[in-house]
Amino acid sequence: MSPLKLVALACVVSASAASLAAYSDPLPPDLTYRPLPTQPLSSVRANDEAQKPKVMKRQQNLLNKRYDLADKPIPDARMSGGQKKVQDGVRVRLPDGVTWDTLASMSPTEIRDKNLLPEGFRPLPHVKQATGGQVFPQKAIDEIGKQENRDLKRFDVDFDLPDHLTPEFPPPIFLTTHPELGDVSRGELLTIKNFYEYMNGIITPVQMEGLRLLLTPFPQEEFNQTEDRKVAQQSMGVACLDCHANFHTNGAFHLTPDVRPQAARFRLDSTSLRGMFNQQIHGSKRSLRSIEDFTEFEQRTAYFNGDHVSATRKGVNLPDRPNQVAMMAQMQNIIDFPPAPKLDPMGKLDPAKASEQELAGERVFMGKGRCGECHLPQTSFLDNNMHDLKLERFYNIGYTANDQVAIADGPIKTFTLRGIKDSPPYLHDGRLLTLADTVEYFNLVLGVKLTKEEKDSLVAYMLTL
Amino acid sequence: MRNFLTIILMTITTAPAAAQIGNPAGFAPDTRMQEPGVPADHQTNNQDRLFAQLAAAGGLAEVDLAKLAATKAADARVKEFAQALVDDHSDANSRLKALADAAKIPLPDTLDADHKAVRQKLDAAEGQAFDVAYIRSQIIAHQKTAQLLAWEIGSGEDAQLQRYSAATLPAVMKHLRMAQDIASALTGQASREIVAAKHN
Ligand code: HEC
Ligand code: HEC
Repeated sequence: MSPLKLVALACVVSASAASLAAYSDPLPPDLTYRPLPTQPLSSVRANDEAQKPKVMKRQQNLLNKRYDLADKPIPDARMSGGQKKVQDGVRVRLPDGVTWDTLASMSPTEIRDKNLLPEGFRPLPHVKQATGGQVFPQKAIDEIGKQENRDLKRFDVDFDLPDHLTPEFPPPIFLTTHPELGDVSRGELLTIKNFYEYMNGIITPVQMEGLRLLLTPFPQEEFNQTEDRKVAQQSMGVACLDCHANFHTNGAFHLTPDVRPQAARFRLDSTSLRGMFNQQIHGSKRSLRSIEDFTEFEQRTAYFNGDHVSATRKGVNLPDRPNQVAMMAQMQNIIDFPPAPKLDPMGKLDPAKASEQELAGERVFMGKGRCGECHLPQTSFLDNNMHDLKLERFYNIGYTANDQVAIADGPIKTFTLRGIKDSPPYLHDGRLLTLADTVEYFNLVLGVKLTKEEKDSLVAYMLTL
Repeated sequence: MRNFLTIILMTITTAPAAAQIGNPAGFAPDTRMQEPGVPADHQTNNQDRLFAQLAAAGGLAEVDLAKLAATKAADARVKEFAQALVDDHSDANSRLKALADAAKIPLPDTLDADHKAVRQKLDAAEGQAFDVAYIRSQIIAHQKTAQLLAWEIGSGEDAQLQRYSAATLPAVMKHLRMAQDIASALTGQASREIVAAKHN
């Protein structure tokens, strides 16, 4: 070997030794995995209860700063069960000195440099980001407590949004197998106690068994029997339909299982399970390819923050794929969207039934507003894709709000717009409170410069879906 | 930039204690409380102590390497970047030192093994190769620092160390983006924003 080659070889050896050394980086041991608690439950609970008023106050301050939370419904618009009014108007507060139009006329860089992106457009923190976990609205806690004597109330946090900004509860249930029946919920919340009586004769044995499993509580990160829980009594756990109430959503939220570290995890608003039969990718980030995959895994991701090790400790339920998972999936797959009588079979408005304003809204949706490029009417307003809206073009990431570190959202799955008036708050983390907010959001993100009239027509159109 | 950091570092110490509310399941068992649920000043858990040590080691190394790059780099943008790091980090490092001293956390004062290895590599490189190696090392360093700061914000107990982290993180993210943009200009590597090409 020539001397030169020898030198080269020596360099390679020392370089690889150096890069090997770099792999032994001193990193914190609990960056990815959930740390074990260092304190007994009694002392954790005492501290949590002492902190609770401050936690709730801090979150209320953040919400009030970002949004107008008032109860101001649209006069004639109700959710599909007819019990709850749909909220009106843009609720995201503008920074001083700008209007929606002046904001839309600025470049993303200018908005970023002048820090003018409304805070309500940015990631919404969990009530207690450092702890995270599932948080249920009071109505759901009360109803499940009443029917099942199971306590979903946490001692460290409460639900943060006012009731009028959340979905109707309990919401109606529509079945693809029985369109003629309409809502089959009887105005009640389906629980492990009443499901058999209510569904007997309407669904098949396989669907019935799937429904039973979807209503059976299993241990969860905050609701279990160990010292690492956030409920006073030892708990039987949480059922799928505790969040997906009547296969829709009650607005319960938690933190995404898909991101670490804890401070950077984004909030997740429970999605509706209506129309799952047409959706090809599941989860805002996970893009799981079937309802079966999602069902099988939800008890390690939603239930245990995507930490299967923690699940093993607290009691994991592993539904059997060919039997239980298949039945749970078959039950979910017969849940229909609410009826939309103005839509034709291709998802377009029937001009004989729709108003001028609604038709104008559809034209904006399909044309200038560009909404229809992702929300395709004939595929349930889905494109079965994830899109990176690149909101961080408009603001500097890395700041901390209520212990949440804002990072870029990255690609998120397109959500359906069928039955959209039934499922506030909007976006994956529930950062937008009304449909008018979503119009302002996309107007800015897409740079489509809609007029006031066009925006109003889009809202009117979305109410028909 | 220097002023910007100094200002936020000054304001964080005066912000109300409620600004940080951790999970009490992670408090150290011997925590003294100012009031129920609120640890007294400079009460730390394991995470705070490890954070302070790792952040100090990282800060020390970033200044050391930046001083080297400020004189040795061939490209003006790399030099400028390195100088900005020297300025910003010197402030941040001394602030961290003050908080760690108050909480009686011993901090490292020499380069650790990993950063020594990086330093050796950079000592051996010249010209454009140095610039690229330095910028790449800084991308990794800033990625890790961002993780570390976010980890402390979520897991720590000492509210002042947590507020220090929250105040430092935006600048770290900004430096990370600067480093990515420079790397993109130097090598043509992909970046999330359009960067004027400088490579040949
Ligand atoms: C905390 C309340 C909660 C519970 C309990 C829960 N989920 Fe979910 N579920 C969510 C949230 C939030 C999402 C959105 C996840 C995301 O975006 O990554 C979701 C998403 C889904 C999806 C995908 C929907 C879509 O639009 O992509 C399915 C299917 C689903 N859940 C089924 C289940 C099943 C089955 C169970 C019981 C094993 C369950 N969920 C329990 C909150 C919950
Ligand atoms: C580039 C594809 C794309 C375009 C174009 C688009 N959207 Fe969306 N839409 C998305 C994605 C992705 C989400 C989920 C974003 C998130 O959660 O962060 C979404 C979410 C929504 C939601 C909230 C759904 C829910 O259940 O929370 C509404 C409402 C909405 N879009 C309306 C519109 C309107 C109105 C337009 C046109 C002005 C539009 N979108 C244009 C991709 C798109």
